[in-house]
Amino acid sequence: MATVSKQARKKIGALLALGAFAGLLLLPLFLSLPTGASGETPAPAAPAAPAAAKASDAKPVEKSRDVWYKTEGPVVGAPAPKTTDSLKDYPRYNFESRVLLWVGLQQHLYYGSFVLAVPIFCMIVEYLGIITKDRALARKYDQLAYDFVKISLTAYSLTALLGGIVIFTFLTLYPTFFGYLSSVFRPVMATYALLFIAESGTLYIYYYGWDKMREGFLKWVHVSMSVILNVIGTVLMMLANSWIAFMQSPAGVDAEGRYLGNVWHVIHTTLWNPINVHRLLGNMAFGGGVVAAYAAYRFLTSKTDEERAHYDWMGYVAMFIGVCFLIPLPFAGYWLMREVYAYRQQMGITLMGGLLAWLFIIQAVMIGALFLTTNYYLWQGMERMRGAERYQKYIKYMVFVLITCFIVWLTPHTIVMTPAELKAMGGQQHPVLGNYGVMSAKNGAINTIITTTVLSFIMYQRANKIPTVRWAPLGTAFLFGLFTMAFINIIWLAIYGYYIPANVRVGLSVPQVASTLSCLFIGVILNSFMLKGAKDTGPIAWGQISVRSQYALIMLATAFTWMMGLMGYIRSSVRLFWHVNEIMRDNSPWAFTHTIGFGANMISFNVLFFWVTILFVFWLGSLGVKKVPVTVPAGQKVPLPASSH
Amino acid sequence: MADQARQVSSAAEVSTGTKIAFAIGSLIVATGYFILLDWSLMNMQGLDFFYMFRK
Repeated sequence: MATVSKQARKKIGALLALGAFAGLLLLPLFLSLPTGASGETPAPAAPAAPAAAKASDAKPVEKSRDVWYKTEGPVVGAPAPKTTDSLKDYPRYNFESRVLLWVGLQQHLYYGSFVLAVPIFCMIVEYLGIITKDRALARKYDQLAYDFVKISLTAYSLTALLGGIVIFTFLTLYPTFFGYLSSVFRPVMATYALLFIAESGTLYIYYYGWDKMREGFLKWVHVSMSVILNVIGTVLMMLANSWIAFMQSPAGVDAEGRYLGNVWHVIHTTLWNPINVHRLLGNMAFGGGVVAAYAAYRFLTSKTDEERAHYDWMGYVAMFIGVCFLIPLPFAGYWLMREVYAYRQQMGITLMGGLLAWLFIIQAVMIGALFLTTNYYLWQGMERMRGAERYQKYIKYMVFVLITCFIVWLTPHTIVMTPAELKAMGGQQHPVLGNYGVMSAKNGAINTIITTTVLSFIMYQRANKIPTVRWAPLGTAFLFGLFTMAFINIIWLAIYGYYIPANVRVGLSVPQVASTLSCLFIGVILNSFMLKGAKDTGPIAWGQISVRSQYALIMLATAFTWMMGLMGYIRSSVRLFWHVNEIMRDNSPWAFTHTIGFGANMISFNVLFFWVTILFVFWLGSLGVKKVPVTVPAGQKVPLPASSH
Repeated sequence: MADQARQVSSAAEVSTGTKIAFAIGSLIVATGYFILLDWSLMNMQGLDFFYMFRK
C-alpha cells in the first residue's frame, strides 16, 4: 500500500513538474504577445504634472488605414525607409550581397526544417514504442526515436550557428531593411528568441533524460515532453513564417509602411496560414527524406546482416512518414497558390504563367520524380516479402500510368521560341501537346499519380498477408470499385474541364482532390481493418532488399532538398523589386530576377553544401554508435537495433 | 489457429460469380459516391457541376 501511494505521489509530482515546465516554457509567448498586440509602447515614468495640463499638451493620435485589413489604427511606427543605392543602405563586399544572404538563409532553412521535423518523428515513433505490445518491437521503436533525436541534436547546433550568421549578414549587408523589419516585428522577434531558448532547454532535457525516463509513467512524461518540444518548434516556425509572409503580402501597416499597433495583423497576413501548412508538411517530407537517406547511407556501409536489417527498417519508417506528408503537400501548395492569386492576381501570373513559370516546370519534374521514386522504393521493398509475387504483374501497368501522367504533368503551356520555330509550330502552343499544358490536364495527372502511389502502398501493405476476416472478399471488391471509379472520376473531371468556362473549371480541382483523398483515407483504413489478424505468408526479410532501393532513398532526399531550394527561390523572387511588397522598394543593385540557369546553379550549390555538411553530422552521429557492442539475441522476430544508448 | 484456418478457407470459398457480383456492386456504389462527391463539392463552392449538360 505504502509502495502504491509512493508511486502515486511520484506520478502526481511528475505531472505537476511537467505542467510547470510547460507553463514556464510557454510563458514568454503569453507575456510578449499581449503587449505587442495592444500596440502601446511602455509608458515612461509619469511626471507629477496636473492632468489638465497634460491633456492640453497632448497631440492628437494620428490614425491610418491598414493596407490589407482596411481597419483604422493609431500610427505607432515610422514609415518604411526609402533606400538608395548607397553604402549607407546597402553596405557591400566586392560581391553580390543577395547571393551571400541566399546561401545563409537557405542553409539555415534546411537545418531548421530538419530539426523541426525530426522531433515530430521522434514523438510519433516513441509513442508507437509505448503503445506497441510486442516488447522487441517497442524497444526497436524506442531505439529508432533515440537515433533520430541524436542526429537532430548536432544539426540543432548548426541551425543556431547558421541563424546567427543570417542575422549578422542582414545587419551588415541590409541594415536599413532589417531595421525596418525588426521595428515592425519587435515583440515577435523577442518572443522568437525566448522560444528558441525554451526549445533548446526542452530538447536537451528530452535527450539527456531518455534513460532516466524510460519505464512506466515517466516514459509518458518523456513523450509528453516531445509534444511540448514540437509545439514550441512549430510556433517558432510560424513566427519566422510571419516575417516572410509579411514581406510578400504585408498587413498591419498603412500604405507608407507605418506600423498600426496591432501585432496580430502583422503576423496574420493573408499568406501566413497557407505558408504555415505548406512549410510544416514540406519540412516533414524533407525530414523524412533526410533520415531515410541517413538510413540508406548506414545500410550501404553496414558490415553485418543485423545492421543492414535495422537500417533497412529505419529507412522504410522514415520514408513512410515522409511520404505520408508528401501526399497532401501538392494540395497545400495548391491552396497557397490560390491564396496568392486571391491576394494579387499579377503575382500569381508572374509565378505560374510569366517570368517564373519555367521554374514551375522544373518543380513539376521534381514532384514527378519524387512520386516515381517512392513507388519504385515500395515495389523494391515488396521483394523482401514472400507472397508479394502475386502483385508483381500489376507493376508494369502502374509504371505506364505513372510515366504517362508524369509526361502530361511536366508538359509546358508555352515555350520560348524563335520566330521561325513559332511559325513552324503554327502558334504559341503545339496543336496536340499544347492541350496537356493546361491546369485541367495537370490536375488530372497529379491526382492520378498520387492515387497510384496510394495503390502501391496498399499493395505493399498486403504483400505478405492474406486477409482472414469474413468480409475480406467484399472488402477487396470494394477497394477495386473505389480505385477504379476514383481513376475514372479524376480523368473524367480533367476532360470535363476542357468543355466548361474557367470559373467553373477551377472548382473541379476540389472534387478531384477529394477523390484522391477518398482513396487515401478510405482505402488505407479499410485495408488496415481487413488485415487485422491476417495470415502471414512469411516475415519481412529486413535487410534483404536491393541496393538500388537505397539509392532511391538517397534520390528521394536529394530531390526534396533541391525542390525546397527551388520553391523557396520562386516564392522569394516573386516580390521582384520589393523588399516588402508594394511598401518598401529594393533599391540595391541586385533588385533584378536572376536567369533560370543562375538560379538553378545556386540551388544546386546550396543542395551540395547542405549534403556535405549533413554527411559530417551523420559521421558525428555514427561515432557514438561504434563504441557500443552490438548485441543481437537469437530467434528475434524483428531486427534489433545495431546500437544501444 | 483452427479458427483462423476456418476463416481463411471461408474467405477463399467465395465463388467467382459472387466475386463478380461484389465487384459490380462495389462499382455501382463507388459511382454513386463519386457523383455525389462531385456535385456536393461543386455546390459548396457555388458552382454548377452539371453546367455543360444544362447549357
